[in-house]
Amino acid sequence: MAANPPPGAMGPLWTPNVSKSGPKSPAAQSRHKQTGVLDQKALALEDEFKTKHLGVLGVLAWIMLLHVAGIYLFTKGFLLTRMVLENKSSCDVLPFDDVLNQPQGALGNQEKGCWHEKTFDKAVVIIIDALRYDFTVPFASKDESETAHLFHDNIPVLYETAVQNPANAFLLPFIADPPTTTLQRLKGLTTGTLPTFIDAGSNFAGTAIDEDNLVAQLHHAGKSLVHLGDDTWQSLFPGYFNENLTHAYDSFNVWDLHTVDNGVTEHLFPLLNPQNSTKWDVIFGHYLGVDHAGHRYGPNHAAMASKLQEMDRVIRQIIAALDEKTLLVVMGDHGMDAKGDHGGESDDEVEAALWMYSKRGIFGRTSQDTILPPKFARDRFVPQIDLVPTLSLLLGMPIPFNNLGSPIEEAFSGAGGNNWANMATVNRLTSAQVKRYQHQYGIARGAGDDKESMLLYSAAEEEWKSASKSFSSKSSAARASNELYRKYQRHTLDVCRGLWARFDVPSMIQGVVILFAGIILLVIYARGLKMDRTQLTPRLLSFVGAGAGAGAASGTALGLIGLTEMTVIDFVVLLTAAGSIIGALPAIVKKPTNLTVPLPSGMWGWLAFFFTVSQSFGFASNSYTIWEDEILLFFLTTFGVCAGISSMRQKQTTDRVLGVYHSVLFVILGRVASFSRLCREEQMPFCRSTYYASSTSSISAPWQLAIPFLVTLFLPSVVRSFYVGSKSYEGAAYLWIGFAFRLGLFITSLFWMLEGADDGEWLPISKETLKSVRVFLAQLVLALALAAGTGAYLYCKPCVSINVTKQPEDPTTPPDPITAGQPQGPRTTVTILGFGNVYGTRFFFLVINFALATILMQKPMGQGAIALLLCQILSLLEILDTNALTISNSSIGPIILGVLGSFYFFKTGHQATLSSIQWETAFIPLSTIKYPWSPLLVMLNTFGAQILAAIAVPLTVLWKRPLQTHDRVPASEPSKNPATRLLSDVVQAASTHILYLATINLATTMWAGHLRRHLMLYRIFSPRFMMGSVVLAVVDVVLMVVAVGGVRWSTLSVGEVFGW
Amino acid sequence: MASDTSASGPPTPTVSAEKPSAPPVNILSSPVARIYSVVHPALLLTLCATRFEGLVENPTKELLKTLPWLTAIQISYAVICLPPAGSTSSTESSVSAPADGKTSPRSTSGPSGGRHGKASKRKYTNSWTCIWSRLLPATLSLALTFLLATPVLALVLVLFGAPLTTHNAETVLCAAHMAVLSATSLIYAHGTDRGVWNEVWGIARPADAVWGGALGSGLGAWFGAIPIPLDWDRPWQAFPITILVGAYIGYALGSLVSRTPLLYGKRVQFTAEELGNKEKKTN
Repeated sequence: MAANPPPGAMGPLWTPNVSKSGPKSPAAQSRHKQTGVLDQKALALEDEFKTKHLGVLGVLAWIMLLHVAGIYLFTKGFLLTRMVLENKSSCDVLPFDDVLNQPQGALGNQEKGCWHEKTFDKAVVIIIDALRYDFTVPFASKDESETAHLFHDNIPVLYETAVQNPANAFLLPFIADPPTTTLQRLKGLTTGTLPTFIDAGSNFAGTAIDEDNLVAQLHHAGKSLVHLGDDTWQSLFPGYFNENLTHAYDSFNVWDLHTVDNGVTEHLFPLLNPQNSTKWDVIFGHYLGVDHAGHRYGPNHAAMASKLQEMDRVIRQIIAALDEKTLLVVMGDHGMDAKGDHGGESDDEVEAALWMYSKRGIFGRTSQDTILPPKFARDRFVPQIDLVPTLSLLLGMPIPFNNLGSPIEEAFSGAGGNNWANMATVNRLTSAQVKRYQHQYGIARGAGDDKESMLLYSAAEEEWKSASKSFSSKSSAARASNELYRKYQRHTLDVCRGLWARFDVPSMIQGVVILFAGIILLVIYARGLKMDRTQLTPRLLSFVGAGAGAGAASGTALGLIGLTEMTVIDFVVLLTAAGSIIGALPAIVKKPTNLTVPLPSGMWGWLAFFFTVSQSFGFASNSYTIWEDEILLFFLTTFGVCAGISSMRQKQTTDRVLGVYHSVLFVILGRVASFSRLCREEQMPFCRSTYYASSTSSISAPWQLAIPFLVTLFLPSVVRSFYVGSKSYEGAAYLWIGFAFRLGLFITSLFWMLEGADDGEWLPISKETLKSVRVFLAQLVLALALAAGTGAYLYCKPCVSINVTKQPEDPTTPPDPITAGQPQGPRTTVTILGFGNVYGTRFFFLVINFALATILMQKPMGQGAIALLLCQILSLLEILDTNALTISNSSIGPIILGVLGSFYFFKTGHQATLSSIQWETAFIPLSTIKYPWSPLLVMLNTFGAQILAAIAVPLTVLWKRPLQTHDRVPASEPSKNPATRLLSDVVQAASTHILYLATINLATTMWAGHLRRHLMLYRIFSPRFMMGSVVLAVVDVVLMVVAVGGVRWSTLSVGEVFGW
Repeated sequence: MASDTSASGPPTPTVSAEKPSAPPVNILSSPVARIYSVVHPALLLTLCATRFEGLVENPTKELLKTLPWLTAIQISYAVICLPPAGSTSSTESSVSAPADGKTSPRSTSGPSGGRHGKASKRKYTNSWTCIWSRLLPATLSLALTFLLATPVLALVLVLFGAPLTTHNAETVLCAAHMAVLSATSLIYAHGTDRGVWNEVWGIARPADAVWGGALGSGLGAWFGAIPIPLDWDRPWQAFPITILVGAYIGYALGSLVSRTPLLYGKRVQFTAEELGNKEKKTN
């Protein structure tokens, strides 16, 4: 078997169709007949190839649908999403449906209060980050052995005042909704709604709150707001604060206990001075020292004690400086665990403290039991969202639209604790707002109102009406309606919690099971079959179809009857997927003789297995997820070293030299690419971003603009050198690589040069002109790469050049098999250049097209990375060839391509975080958002590396694949169609590639599901799971449509020239 | 493809030089050598364990301080326990020495190794010759270890992801330690025999007293990189520490295990298995 034809092999054995000579003699006549038969056979083989190609696409489509079904079921149970409504409450519109039903009084009156008469004009809101409830109350041991810790009894002022002057102050446990990170907490504390992983609103990428919230309401009411301390506020509420008085401090330096606190204190007290009292209305002061002491030392440390004592002094000073019109609120936004960290939902982390103080003495207690602050946080607590309606109504603001909290009893029950009418009023207002929000949310979601809460609400309204007829402040009816409104609010809160915060574990398990079964099938299909995979297709597809049909029918029937609690759609999806899996099993394992144990064999198989499995296990650890880019580099270098070692063992010198050369090149290219980094927050301080001009910008540095030009200069030449190596730089290759590709890259460089000029304002041209020129250039490149490129790909000839020369007769040469029948005349020698790599070079055009499109969509640094990816892919192909891995269908090629795709995802300025998505790239070839193009463009930017690697997958079996036609197949299997054999190899490589990504996806899915209570869920595991799922779906589609789809045309064009 | 090459045209000179592969190296038979060969791995691990705290405290300083000690331990292991290059007691030396001289004329040890091979055969009792025959390979091995192996290993470390812009001293010192561990005895025992080194680059040496340690230290260093990214916040997770400790442990294990009769003389199977499976897999 001519496994390794020398570069640019001469192919005198094949008679290309183009050089068929006419009949000359009786012998030739019979040959002509034979040729006719051969042509018919070739046509039949071509048709067989086309049919089987479609069948294979069908199998890949089924695999994709299986993945989508699994991901859908898991996601439904796992990803908690909440829609952000844009509605805002306004001062002059009360939340009631019926305008006539509105109570008389301070209606829409900014002076007296919007919805309810205001109690305070001004407020000082002090947030002591991580102020846990047990810090604020006297030490109470839960069991005998426990003794007071260093953090106990150091901030007694809150408890003292609440006990000594109950009318002036109250202290309550203040329970946070996880995740207990400051940013999420501030959202909850100002909007009054529950945090979910995705707040699906219009401003998906930014951090600013676009929901209705207390700060925005105060701002719109014309209040002067001051913010001091933690700069998280600035990113959440940009432009809302009085710039002259506001002082924000960096919040991430947890080693620094004092800068923020000293800054807040320094700027707070001058404002409390009576002569400055007109300058502000509400002050938000955010102290970080306690939190930082916790992070740095843990709570049980002298530093924490002294910090709490400092806070105690500060609060006493504020009390001293406070006037009667001003409300003082001190609270923690979350607690801290035993190590002083937070983010999760353990008791210690969610139990913060809330204390309110006023010199006027308006706070009340409704019963004797509640006079003292509770001993333990779980005794009698308020959710943190309750602050929002409380503060809104106390300051005479409308309640923010999305609020789900309830007014805090102590603040509205009057000094005597018996002002039930007032309490009923505020609870009625709050309930009406909650109801209005629920109604709008139901409309946005396309669902109706919750029946039980409607009942509760109408019961409360009934009670209210009866109470208002005989109105008196001690009326039991007011009290009863108050209770009912309260019940309605808490019920709605529970409903929403169920909707937004509870994982649907059965649905998650169903998704995981489907994905897992999909992997089992894929393992058998990709690695466990000895037979031609294309022969399996008809049976497999019909069984899968039957199974899916049966599943869908029974799912619909059972779902409609109502035998399941799941919705009909989910149930149908589940049963269809399960049915197709059950159907596929007997089709695949029909003949046990066709199966092998799908265990890896040899060093390469085990290496591929090791890379896939160890990476999958690594995703259980947040560290390995954070440092994935470095780990992938480690794997790639390991592969390169193994390739070098294996190449050293090759017996042929050319194989050895070429193999070692490309292994070294492969490793060095990977390391060079690794210098392009965009660090994620968790990688600091051990990482330095190089992707942009600086770590705080998202534009490229001027020197980076040279990268596209370097790519233009070198990349086509490098690609050319790989073509020249097998004498394949013939035919269309000149035009394609030497001209079109280079032109496209040059235009891309111009584009990015203009972009840089725009950013830096180097040119005296208006921004609009620059933009329209840029859009034109970008569209030109995309048209060249994807429209013209695809068209040319469909009709292009293989990269060969055929020379026919006539030689004088040479009787010593034995006749060739095919020319045997020809008369002994002047011998015709056919020289074919580029014969050794005819499949590979033809197919690689497709990779070039997509490389050009991908390069356009990357920032300059990423363009360099994609160029390196293309070089690494080519080196990989040479390594595979010199180590005889292309002809043995080794799993290592497709899996290293998978690793390369993931690696370059990180090298093109991405991370497995939502914030690293480069949304702005949607505007490279467009000036406005256009569906479906804008999302597709962002996809091409984000997953460009994976897409390119996926398209290169067929090359792992096509690169330098020896040409085979039906008259040259081994005698052992004469009936075989070599083209279907090729197809089978391609689909095996494709399914191996999918197997890698599906395993990674299953691993990230399972870990995310398993670690759903992990405090890093939202920051690390969830984003990685989402990335894995999207990558799998994207690559499934790209492999099916572009990669395996493209094999059809490359094979047809080779067959057209060389026969079948 | 393999079947092709056996029949294929003119064999390249390298292939012919490779053919008589150098046999595995065994520990010398003297009692001192036997004892020290067992003490040596223990000594290395003790060095590693006693200096560990210092290493965590100040890697650069400690690595620099321990490098002479490590070199002394390694070179004494080579001199005491191993046959110097060209003096291998097997029949091979006479065959390989001329081939050696022919293929690598640039090296100083090629011809000299051959000469000493003969000398050792002629008069092994002459103590001066004996010492001289060991001193020269020892010097050569030290020189090559520091001049060649260290930069190469430093480069490999960087390629595997060691920082390039920072921690240069650590990288170079780590490479020096790994080089002294793995390369000293290899060079001492084999000189610059091109056939042997081709086998070394192909991980195709038979397991023996020098190769086991070298391979073990490489694998150990590879596994040593695994704990670095974990967020345990331990000071010993800093860059070169785990890699070096892995290399030390790997060396000790490798050099001990590869001398056991179970492994001695065996080669790492790489693709032979795959060739057998090829028929099955191509379907």
